[in-house]
Amino acid sequence: MSFQEKNVTVSLANFTLILGFFAIRVIQMIQGGSFEAANIFRLWGITIALAVIVTIFATILTHIFSAIIHAIKTGEEQPTVEGIEDERDKLIDLRGTKLTYLVFSLGVFLSMLTFVFGQPPLVMFTLLIASGLVAQVIGDARRLYLYRRGF
Amino acid sequence: MERRRINNNIRKLRFFHNEMTQQELAQKVGVTRQTIIAMEQGKYSPSLELAFRIALVFGVPLDEVFSYDLEIE
Repeated sequence: MSFQEKNVTVSLANFTLILGFFAIRVIQMIQGGSFEAANIFRLWGITIALAVIVTIFATILTHIFSAIIHAIKTGEEQPTVEGIEDERDKLIDLRGTKLTYLVFSLGVFLSMLTFVFGQPPLVMFTLLIASGLVAQVIGDARRLYLYRRGF
Repeated sequence: MERRRINNNIRKLRFFHNEMTQQELAQKVGVTRQTIIAMEQGKYSPSLELAFRIALVFGVPLDEVFSYDLEIE
């Protein structure tokens, strides 16, 4: 498994967990009757901060552990070509990003439709961030699928 | 239009070049070993630049490494 593949796997796991956390919190709010602007915007902040911080730390940790495992396996101190992003990695990333944008665009469209059906802005904002997380998960899943298949 | 696909002789050429490993070839052309594996399995067609780099490593013309053949049904 190349470094890029490990990175995608870790990103997929992270965003699935963040999406799970977001969905559980929203369901809890709806059931507890606390689905209101202040709580949702706080959840927005937590989710985005979590996504940024976890992604940065996960990338750093993946890099460190990959280098340690590489050094143990090969006895080389410097990870060589496995650490680089080659043309296949870039194409796989592009395909994943394309799907992420497609899903997110649909999510944005659906979010805007909530206004047509007379829903409060709260619903739009909840759907917006949920579609962003779902889009990221689907994009990462496609990247991982392409890595496992070869291309 | 007839369907064609890009095939390659990388596996054979590696064998005839002192049984060069996939890792060695990957390092010489600047890609990951997984990309070499994907190419050998016919799952990934390289860019023209990478194709030329591979041909240069083996010291053969491009058409000895890659061929554009009719797809067998």
